[in-house]
Amino acid sequence: MSPLRTLLACTLAWLVPGGGHLYLKRPFKGVTFFCLVLLTFFLGLSLHGRAYLVDDEQPLLSALATFANVGAGPLDLLARTWTYQELAYRLPPDGQPGHDELQARMRARVLEPSYEYGTTFILTAGLMNILLILDAFDIAIGRKD
Amino acid sequence: MISHIFVLVLFSALVSIFFGVLTRDTLHEGARISVILFLSMVGVSLALAYIMAPFPLR
Repeated sequence: MSPLRTLLACTLAWLVPGGGHLYLKRPFKGVTFFCLVLLTFFLGLSLHGRAYLVDDEQPLLSALATFANVGAGPLDLLARTWTYQELAYRLPPDGQPGHDELQARMRARVLEPSYEYGTTFILTAGLMNILLILDAFDIAIGRKD
Repeated sequence: MISHIFVLVLFSALVSIFFGVLTRDTLHEGARISVILFLSMVGVSLALAYIMAPFPLR
């Protein structure tokens, strides 16, 4: 498969969970992954989970968690809008404009009893989609059947 | 009120089906791996919970 088609497969896999597998003519896997990732993601939202922000107080961990969230593709935009009412990716340092508002919106979710579960579900949906992108890449270059 | 065991079972089911489909090409093999993963995840979680139960929370 040409590099352009490999890139297209990976991009589709990021944009739509299972989209890469559908493009690579694996309809059963594509539809199953689509349902699984969306179910995991929306269960996370319904359990009051949140998308992570890059926080200067925990730069490495928060950046990795944010990367996992972004792996879910456009679903991540939904999670951020749902959590913060804006597309925020970074928590401004304490005292900077926007810090208190974002933290207040975050705390509103943290107080929910199912917050940890919900956040784990949302993170897992992102990680699943990253694995799907890598799987689509392996199939496209012929490393996997 | 949230049921912790229900969330555990739900999470384990989703993750095990995902890895079953991802790592195997036939439906039979995928289902077998999914069941093994599901039982392992739930079993290990319950065993850890049982071991940790006597420890104080704080």
